[in-house]
Amino acid sequence: MPKTILVVDDEPDIRQSVKMILEKNGYMVITAESGDDCLVKLNDVKPDLILLDIMMPGTPVSEIVKKITDIKIAFMSVVRISDARKKGLCTQDNIVDFFQKPFNVTDLIDRVELILSD
Amino acid sequence: MDGNNIQNKKKLFSKINRKITLLFIIVGLIAPSIAIFYFYNITVDSMAEEMIEESATLLRTIAIMIIVLIAINAGVIGFFLSKSISKPIKSLYNATKEVEKGNFDVRIDIKTGDEIEQLGHAFNTTTSALGKMQEERNEIDNAKTEFLSITSHELRSPMTPMKAQLQMLEQGYFGKLKNKQKESLSIINRNADRLDNIIQDFLEISRIEAARLKFNFKETDMAQTVKETIKFMEGFAKEKNIKLVEKIDEIPIIQADPDRISQVLRNLINNAIKFSKEDSKIEINCELKDNHIQISVKDYGCGLTTENQLRIFEPFYQVENANRRRHGGTGLGLAICRGIVESQKGKIWVESKENMGSKFSFTLPLEPVRDIKPIKVLFSQKGIIERKIKEEFETELGPLGSIEFEELKNKNAINKDDIFDYINYLVDKFIIPADRGLIFKNKLDIIYGELK
Repeated sequence: MPKTILVVDDEPDIRQSVKMILEKNGYMVITAESGDDCLVKLNDVKPDLILLDIMMPGTPVSEIVKKITDIKIAFMSVVRISDARKKGLCTQDNIVDFFQKPFNVTDLIDRVELILSD
Repeated sequence: MDGNNIQNKKKLFSKINRKITLLFIIVGLIAPSIAIFYFYNITVDSMAEEMIEESATLLRTIAIMIIVLIAINAGVIGFFLSKSISKPIKSLYNATKEVEKGNFDVRIDIKTGDEIEQLGHAFNTTTSALGKMQEERNEIDNAKTEFLSITSHELRSPMTPMKAQLQMLEQGYFGKLKNKQKESLSIINRNADRLDNIIQDFLEISRIEAARLKFNFKETDMAQTVKETIKFMEGFAKEKNIKLVEKIDEIPIIQADPDRISQVLRNLINNAIKFSKEDSKIEINCELKDNHIQISVKDYGCGLTTENQLRIFEPFYQVENANRRRHGGTGLGLAICRGIVESQKGKIWVESKENMGSKFSFTLPLEPVRDIKPIKVLFSQKGIIERKIKEEFETELGPLGSIEFEELKNKNAINKDDIFDYINYLVDKFIIPADRGLIFKNKLDIIYGELK
C-alpha cells in the first residue's frame, strides 16, 4: 500500500517537480495550492505526510498548522529554519522536518523515506 | 545640572524671578529713596532746633515706612511680572525636555499674548513636524523589512523548481542522457548553484545594510562552537591534506549567537584552505582578552599584497593569484563577515606577508549587542585611506603635495610600496631632508595600519 503525500505550495512549478520526484519514488501524491486549499483536500483524504510551504497567500500557515495535529508535517520553504523557529512555527509535535528551498532531490527522497519508515 | 533644575521647578523663586524681582525692588526704591533723603534733609535744615528732636524720629519712621511699602509694592509687582515670563519659559523648557526623550506629541499652551506665546506656537509647529518625520521614518523602515522579505522570497523561488528539474534531468528521470548532454547539464547546475549563492549573499548584505541582520542570542559555550566548526571544516581541509590545528582558551559561557560566529569562522577557514598549499597547516586560535574574545585563523599560504590587504573586505573583491585562476565564491564572504562582526561592535582585520601567509582575526564582545545599527559594507575604506594619505602629502610637501598625489594616483602608484619608493626618491634628490622622509613614511605606516 503506497504512502500518500500531500504537497502544498503556491507555485505550480514546484508542485509539479515535487510530485514527479515523489511519484517516481513510489509515493502517491495529491497537491494543494494554499493553506486553505490544503484544509479542503484534507476533508477527502488523510495523507501520511504533508509537505508544507510557508509563504503562501490566504490564511497564514501558522494558523493552518494549528488545525492539523494528527498528520506528520514537514515544512518546505525559502524561509530559514532559525527564522521559522523564532516565529513559533515549529512547536507542534507533528512537525517532523524542515526542507530548505532550493532542496536537493536525493536529500528530499532520503529524508521523506526516513520520516515514513515507521 | 538636571538635579538643580528639577529643584528649581519646585521653588517659588526661579532664577528669573529672583533677578527681576530684585531689579524691580532696587529700581523702585532709587527715586523715592533719593527724594525722601532730599526732603528729609531740607525739612530738618529748615526746622527750628527744638522741633528737630521730636520731628526727627517721626520723620525717620515715616521715611522708613514709605521705603518699606515701596519695596514691598515693587517686589510684589516685580514678582508677578517675572512669573508671567518665567512660567511660560519653564513650560517651554519642560516640553523641550520631553522632545529630547523622543516624545513628539507634546504641545504647549501659552496664552500671554506676547512674543513668548508666539514662541510657544513655533515650538508646537516644529514638534509636530518632527513627529511627522518620525512617523515617515517608521513607515519606511517597515517598508524596507517587507521589501527584503518579499524580495528574498521572490528571488529564491525560481531557483527551486530550476534546480529540482536540473537534478531530475541529471538523474535520468526523463530518460538516459548522452555524455555531451550530461556535460551541458553539469555546467548549468554549477552555475545555478553559483547564482543561488550570490543571491543568498546579496540578501545577507541587504540585511546588514538595513540593520535587519537577525541574531539569536543564547547561552553559548564558545570553545565548543569553535571546536564543532573546525570539525565541520575538516572534511574540506582533508581534500588538500591540510591539518587544522586548534588552540582554544578557557572561555566562560556567554550570551552569543553560535550560528553567526560559526558562519564567520567557516568563511575564514574556507578562505585559508583555498589559499593554502597542499600538506600545509592552518592554525585556529580562540583567546579570551580583557573584555572580548578574539578568534584568529592563520594560514601559511600565498599571503596578500598590500593592495589586497586594503581591499579584501570589499564586496565582490576577489584576489587573483599568480596563475590568474579565480577561486570561485561570490566575493561577498568577507564583506558579510565584516557586517556580522561589526554589527556586534567587534573588529575584523588581516595581517599578512606575501608568500608567507595571512592571519585573519575578529573579535566579539562578552555582552551581545541587541540594538543593531546599520553597517555600511557597500562602500570601501579605500576612499578614506586615500583622503588621509593625500592630506599627509599636503602637510609634508605643501600645496604641491596634493598635485603630486594626484599624479601618483593616475599612474596607479598609490599603494604603500610605490609611495615609499617615491619618498625615497625625494630624499635621494635632496628635495626633502632624510629625517623628514622618515617621519613621512612613519605617518603613512600608521594610516595604512589603520585597516585593522
